[in-house]
Order: sequence, then structure tokens, then C-alpha cells
Amino acid sequence: MPVFPTFEQVYQGFAEQIGKLPGVAPRVEMPADQRVKRAVKVLVDETHADEAVWLESCVHCGQCVDACHFYESTQDSKYAPLRKIRLYQRVYRQEVGPFRWLYKLVGRPVTVEDLEELQELVYDSCTECGRCTMICPMGIDIASLVHHCRTALVAAGMAPPEMAAVTFEQKQMRTVFGASPDVLRSLVQKILDEYGEEIPIDKDKAEVLVLTSAVDIVMNGNGLLATARVMNHLGVDWTLRTDAYESANFGLLAGDMDLMVELADNIAKSAERVGAKVVIVAECGHAYSALRWNPHVHGKELPFEILYMSEFLGRQVQAGKLRLEPLNRTVTFHDPCKIGRRGGAFDEPRAVLAAMNAELVEMPANREVNWCCGGGAGVFLLNRATELRDKAFKIKLGQVDATGADGVVVSCASCRLNFEAGRFKNRWDKQVDSLVELVADHLKDGEAGQPAAVAGGEQ
Amino acid sequence: MTLLDLARGPALEWALVIFIAGILWRLLGVLLLTHPVDFSAPRTSFAKLQGTRTVFSRAWPSAEFIVRTRYQTVMAYVFHIGMFVVVAGFVPHIEFITGLTGLSWPGLPNFVATLLGIAAVLALVAMLVRRLTDQRKCCVSTWDDYFSWFATAAPLVTGLMAFYHLGPRYETLLAMHILSIDLLLVWFPFGKLMHAFWAVLSRAQTGAAYYRKGVRI
Repeated sequence: MPVFPTFEQVYQGFAEQIGKLPGVAPRVEMPADQRVKRAVKVLVDETHADEAVWLESCVHCGQCVDACHFYESTQDSKYAPLRKIRLYQRVYRQEVGPFRWLYKLVGRPVTVEDLEELQELVYDSCTECGRCTMICPMGIDIASLVHHCRTALVAAGMAPPEMAAVTFEQKQMRTVFGASPDVLRSLVQKILDEYGEEIPIDKDKAEVLVLTSAVDIVMNGNGLLATARVMNHLGVDWTLRTDAYESANFGLLAGDMDLMVELADNIAKSAERVGAKVVIVAECGHAYSALRWNPHVHGKELPFEILYMSEFLGRQVQAGKLRLEPLNRTVTFHDPCKIGRRGGAFDEPRAVLAAMNAELVEMPANREVNWCCGGGAGVFLLNRATELRDKAFKIKLGQVDATGADGVVVSCASCRLNFEAGRFKNRWDKQVDSLVELVADHLKDGEAGQPAAVAGGEQ
Repeated sequence: MTLLDLARGPALEWALVIFIAGILWRLLGVLLLTHPVDFSAPRTSFAKLQGTRTVFSRAWPSAEFIVRTRYQTVMAYVFHIGMFVVVAGFVPHIEFITGLTGLSWPGLPNFVATLLGIAAVLALVAMLVRRLTDQRKCCVSTWDDYFSWFATAAPLVTGLMAFYHLGPRYETLLAMHILSIDLLLVWFPFGKLMHAFWAVLSRAQTGAAYYRKGVRI
């Protein structure tokens, strides 16, 4: 008898929680001119040479719309990616650009109405997936510019209420949705009691620091159970830490960069304290961006490597340490945008599926040019964006259907929630599996024992 | 001083000064901004070098996007290639540059140059029509788009008119042609024509950012 809810139940529970967020969101009262001033200051401060080149480069060709799931599914020109950066371009030209003295004379000053209009463009209708960059003839990294717009809106007190609510909680508690250390300890005990699977917690020293996430802690116990099974099967010297367990970084998602750095630093310090050689990020896409590719985290100097879960599993397969039972199904794989296109870890999850003898059929658009599922970058949290997200998901649904596969394997909780929502709302007949849970269900008996070599450097 | 003397005398001289100084001002004003250090551990030590590949790979759309973008891409290349070949290969242009610098090279037959010039104009018109009739309202056109179009089209059109003596007397047509080039040179540093430089820089830096993460684009 399963102890933990199915992922469909997890999605239902999560949807209910998200519905309550606007009611608990802190309100930021500020005069309108102060909001504008703060937003402009942030954009100016965050504009370096790279941003300036991109802001200068747009030639208004409009090709970006053909890569964007929000435009493609609505045909509404409001969602054209190039529109998302127009306000930033205006600020740049008037405040930073080489002809700012001219633009200040002839340009329109930024208003709070401009910021209000920007909110929907950079939160509700952008998952920062980067697909528009793949089509842009000028190679503009629109997603990075959208991220700066989010930080500007946070400074202006104009992040969407759901983001503000979750960010507020994470500032106080370092985690979200009530996933406190006590709740984590209870879950760890439950997994031991019900499944006999021991999860080391708060070890003083360990080779591997594993991060989990609020989704797993408060709802998807199967996720942490699967992680534990895999780690113990591999004989990894690992630990969870109650002082650093949350992968999710709502600082990054919302655009609160102080919080982003604080959360990332906390994890790095904990990893150093335990002497970890590897930090494994749970299946949470943006968490990889927040740690692995965070420009502030001194990755080159840290004594440990940061690996995404699918990356770690893939490397264990490639090193011959992880052998798996056959899957005997045809599947396709959805690369989470922050792990694939914007993270560089394409091959490892595919190695895992190959080790399971899965018949992998790639989607028509895959790897660097795959379609986003529509739920990332916190869009899944936004009640107002539900309809938009549901429309965008239909593109992904079509991509999976086109493969003829029985189901799709995903490796990101945000993607998985969005897939589950889509599966439910469209009465979709495809199975949606998490990579780590699939691995845990297909561990080859009797192959455990020898400690896994976890620190292997970059491939 | 006749109009032609003005066009190819002080007007051209000042236009060249503004062209060079303006481009330098704009490029340096951007490139001398801060470059914060990225402390994350790269997957490759050669990202900046590998990123230059994107300057060339992005010159043609990837297979995933080619159907949606081929019309625009082909029109853009017909215009750009036509224009550059006319500028560099048309005998009167070569003679003008020889007079200024002493450099010379073989020119194209006139009919080839004029055919390419006409193709370039037609491609420009096609792109303008696309922008004006943009049903999807995706291009977000501004006055810079239209004025840059005009500043680019005028030398091509006036050049063809001058060569074929269409309209006013030849000296006036030639003056109009050179004045239109003066306008292009003066406008170049201030509007979207600077994409001539940004295309290379933007592609290279994005390529480097992606290569750093192990993603080839």
C-alpha cells in the first residue's frame, strides 16, 4: 500500500496551496515615483557591457515570436519576446547608452503604468526558457534581459503576489510551503519506518551533500524516497542537512538577487562544512541555475562540484556504477530548459534511459531547440497565468504525441507539475515519470555495495 | 559652389568625420561598460573562442526554424549581398575610391552591377512591405526602422537613377546620389544600421555564454 500520494494528488494539493498565496502576500506600499526610481536604478546598476550589446542589437525583425510558446499558442502579439525588453531598452538609452543625453531630451520618461504593463510580460508570459535566443538572428539573450526586468520589479515592490508571498517565506525560513527542518525530519523518519530506507541527516562529514525541495518534503515523499534508494544502492557517503536542504531558490525566480545569493551561499557554506566533494541538486530546474551557473558562487574555487540529479545519475551510469533493470517501454525525454538549453546537461539523462534499455524517441524539437513546457521560472505559481500556461502546454503535448511514445520522462518538479496539470486538464493518456523515481524503481538488485566514485570532475 | 561640389566636397568630408567618430563613440560607449566576473565553473576554458563560431552559425537559421524564417532571411541576404557587391564592384565606385585612396581593383560588368542593384532595391521593398503589412504585429516597428530603411534605399535608388539618367540632369542626379550617401554615413552611428557591428558582437558573446555551459549554438 503506497504511503505517499501519487503525483496527480501532489499536483492537486499544490494547486490548492498556490490558490491561497495571494491572500498571504505581503503588500509593498510605495509612492509611484519611488517605484519608478527604484526600478530604473536596478536596471541601470545591472546593465553591463553584455546587456548593453544585447539591448542595442534588436532590429525588430519579429522572428522571435516563432520560437515562443506563449506567442505560438495565443497568436497574441503582446507576447512577442522583443516586446518584453522594450522598456529596458528605453531605460538603457536614456540612462546608460552612449547617446543618453539625446534620448533624455526626446525620450518618454518611465511611468508606473509602464512597470504595471511589464509585470505580465516578464512574469506571466515568460519562462526565461531561452528558445527565442535560438532563433534570433542577432543572438540576443532575451531571457537574461527579462531576468533583469524581474529584479527591477521586485525593487519596485511589483512582483506578482504569489512570488512575493513565497519569497517572503523563504527570506524568513530559507524554505517554502512550510517545509521546515521538523517536517523534513518527520519525512525522513516516515521513510525509515515505512520503507526501511535510511536517510542520513545532519552528518558532520559526508562526501555528498544532497539537496531536496519543498515539493518533495511536504507533498511528494516518493521523490525523497527515490533519492534515498538510489544513493544507498550506490553506497554513496551522503547526507541531508537541516541547515541547507532546499534546492528551490525563489530569490532567483522572483528576481530578488540578495535572497538568491544568500540562499546559494548558505548551501555552499554547509557543503564546505561537511567537506562535501559533490552537491547534488534535486529535480528542480532553476535551482541548477541558482547554484551551478550563479555568477556569484565561486564555483571554480569551491572544493566541490555541483551536479544536477540527472547529471549525477548519468555520470554514475557512464562510470559503470549504476546498472538498471530494463524499462521495456517507449519513452521520450523532456529537457528542462534550465538543465538542457541553459544548463548544458543533455547527454546524462539520455545515458540513464539508455542504461534502462528504454526505447527513446526524441521529440520533433529537441535538445537546444526543444519547446518549453510553459510552467518554468515560477509561472506555475501564478494563478493569473493559468489559462496562458495551459494553452502553451498544448504545444508540448503535441510534441510528445508526435513521438508515438507511451510516456514522457521529466527531470524537474516544475515541469512535472505542469505536465501533470496538462495531463489532468486534457485527459491526456500519456504517462509522466520523474527520472530519479524511474531509476529508483529499476535498480538492479544485488548490484549495490561498492562505494560509488562520486567526484569525477567535468567530463 | 554647385550642389555636386557641396555633395562630394564638404558634405562628404563632414559625413565621413561623423561616421567614424560616431561609430567609435557608440561602440566604445557600450564596450567600455563593466564586465563583471562570472565565478561559476565553466565546462570549457575556451568559451570565448568557441563563441565566435556562433557569429557564423547564426548567419543561417537552424533546421528547426528555417520554414518560418526563410523568406525574411533570403530577402535580407539578397539585399545585403546585392548592396555590398554594387558598392565594391561597380566601376564608377571603384574609380571614386581610387581617386580618394589610390587603391583599385577589377570591376564588374555594368549590367551585372545594375541587376544586383535592382535586386537589392526589390528585396528592400519586399522587406518594407512585410513590415508595413505585418498582420501579426510582431515587428514592433519604430521610426528608426523606417528612417534607416529610407537612408539605405536612397543611395541604391538614386544611384540607379543617376546611372540610367532618369529624371533631372546627370549632375543633379549624381549630387542627389552622393548626398544620400552622406545622409547614410551621418545616420549610421545613431540608428539600427549599427547592427553591422552588433550582429558580430552579440552573437559572439551569446555564443560564449552558451559554450561556457557546454551548449553549442
